[in-house]
Amino acid sequence: MATIQLSATLPSLPTDWTAEKDFKSISRVTQPTARSLEPVGPHFLAHARRKRHHRTFSEDER
Amino acid sequence: MTSESAIDDTQYPQRTAIGLSFGNSYSSIAHTADGKTEVIANEEGDRQIPSILSYVSGEEFQGTQAKAQIVRNPRNTIAYFRDLLGKEFKDVDPSPCHASAHPVESSEGKGVAFVVQEKEVAEDGEEGEKSTLTVAEVTTRHLRKLKESASDYLGKDVNAAVITVPSDFTDAQKSTLSESASKAGIELLQFITEPISALLAYDAKQQLTDSGSSAPQDKIVLVADLGGTRSDVAVIASRGGIYTTLATAHDYELGGSSLDKILIEHAAKEFQKKNKSASDPRKNERSLAKLTLEAEAVKKALSLGATASFSIESLGDGIDFNLTVNRSRFELLGNKVLMSFTRLIESAVQKADLDILDVDEILLSGGTSHTPKIASNLQSHFPESAVVIAPATSATAINPSELAARGAAIQASLISGFEVEEIGASTEAVVTVTPHLTHAIGLVTGEEGFAVIVPAETPAPVRRTAQIVVKAGGDVLVRLAEGVREISVRTEDKATTNGNAKKDADEDEDEDDDSDDEPEEVREKVWKAGKVLAEAGIRGVKKGGKVEVQVNVAADLSVTVVCREVGGKGGVRGTVPAGKAEQNGNAS
Ligand SMILES: Nc1ncnc2c1ncn2[C@@H]1O[C@H](COP(=O)(O)OP(=O)(O)OP(=O)(O)O)[C@@H](O)[C@H]1O
Ligand SMILES: [Mg+2]
Repeated sequence: MATIQLSATLPSLPTDWTAEKDFKSISRVTQPTARSLEPVGPHFLAHARRKRHHRTFSEDER
Repeated sequence: MTSESAIDDTQYPQRTAIGLSFGNSYSSIAHTADGKTEVIANEEGDRQIPSILSYVSGEEFQGTQAKAQIVRNPRNTIAYFRDLLGKEFKDVDPSPCHASAHPVESSEGKGVAFVVQEKEVAEDGEEGEKSTLTVAEVTTRHLRKLKESASDYLGKDVNAAVITVPSDFTDAQKSTLSESASKAGIELLQFITEPISALLAYDAKQQLTDSGSSAPQDKIVLVADLGGTRSDVAVIASRGGIYTTLATAHDYELGGSSLDKILIEHAAKEFQKKNKSASDPRKNERSLAKLTLEAEAVKKALSLGATASFSIESLGDGIDFNLTVNRSRFELLGNKVLMSFTRLIESAVQKADLDILDVDEILLSGGTSHTPKIASNLQSHFPESAVVIAPATSATAINPSELAARGAAIQASLISGFEVEEIGASTEAVVTVTPHLTHAIGLVTGEEGFAVIVPAETPAPVRRTAQIVVKAGGDVLVRLAEGVREISVRTEDKATTNGNAKKDADEDEDEDDDSDDEPEEVREKVWKAGKVLAEAGIRGVKKGGKVEVQVNVAADLSVTVVCREVGGKGGVRGTVPAGKAEQNGNAS
């Protein structure tokens, strides 16, 4: 996927904001829904290949 | 043969695979080679081949020739049989077969068959034995003819296919169809659903035109497959070119033949008006068959031109019939039926728990999608943000009668180099069942605004990268959050926008009755930030610099975020750990 260009403003960093290595994990992603992918098309086939060979996106790109 | 290197497509040099769309009304074949897909014409030059077989004096006819026999030889002509496959007699709706061979029980009600005079009638006029052909056998014969047409056209033996089926085709129906295909000498590589096939064909064409981008944009697509005897709608989340069907809606009585009926009724009335003593041509089987055939032709002509004419020799009581119909008259007469398509399509959106504002594209597939009024009704009913892709509304639309076959051909070309086991393995639940995000993930912007990076209903794992300009520069806070989509409704006085609000008054009698001075409702999609997942501080961004945020959602739903200033040094990286293991079940 091409890089997404967002047109909005980021809030500025509060002066009292601190975090180890400037990163704070706050809460987990909401439970997902299990659904079936349609086993069709080139992008699905790439997904199936990654899944069956336990590869990540970047490993797949190599 | 070893099972390694299955991607090597020289492994099956003997395999020639086509895409096949097999409908109750028409079938169509396509072939993809060197990235180009073409729809194949049969010997008669037809690309839409009526799914009809007819037996005349011991000879078998298919397609347009067989269709003509519905007038002369209806009981030996088999039509509208696809949906009867793999079903018990008590479960089938025989009504589309009313004008042709009637379905009968076979194998003690476990199946459906047709009884036809297949062999030549003997010299002495003795009719001879009739044959009972099961639906599976009829399908085999039909597929064999399609295979022959494709082989003749391509100059080599076609022996494999991807076949499209409705999204509600049962496993029993699939296995019967698969067996019929194999008996016809066709190795079934894969079944794919009609709406997905149509979308694949459309996206493949889009990819060629907007060259450069590697996958289609994330979008919600409604695919409406409007056929002859039925209409089916699917709501599809397309995420990086991977498709998930969120909901489907079906109407087994609405289709092109509902529109044919409008014209049949109109013509029959006009015929009786002109010929006071003539009997109702709808009451005589042969007259009705002639009228039906002609009504379909007139309807098709009205999709292109402003007028079209019935011209039937000896319609009834030996009287010839000629009648010109114009498109606006047809649209007026058919208004109710035409609006039913809009209603069916909208019902699918509700079934998917979405709003019409969530729909990015409406792709019209199937022959009835040629009807201009269906497309324009959708265009005025859905918000402007939903692009209606049909011949009447989009110059780049692919012929909707060809979409399903084209998609199947593309899929066939993608997998024909694989072993059957390999294809099967990719379609198993361990590969296809995937966690999908319940909420969108993106950035908190401004006060409590939200910008989407990964939309809801995206399967994990997924990776997306977004950039955002920091006009003022300085230290900024990247807050990764889940988003909540709300629909805001406000009323706006119509007087301000009244310039061209008047519609063709005669056309929307019962569709909507908003009078001119009623305030207009304006509905908008608004994003709000929900649960915050993580925060990252990016320090010292240049004035007008850009911050890039890469979001990596793993299969276990842990999220890794990498933020940096584009062109800057370093960056921030962190992970939001995975949640609990269980998922909301909904895998069917
Ligand atoms: N140009 C056209 N304008 C209007 N209707 C058309 C046009 N071309 C084909 N049709 C109609 O489309 C219908 C056939 O659609 P399609 O080819 O998608 O068939 P199908 O999938 O076999 O249908 P089903 O299975 O629902 O019976 C017929 O009613 C036909 O008259
Ligand atoms: Mg169809």
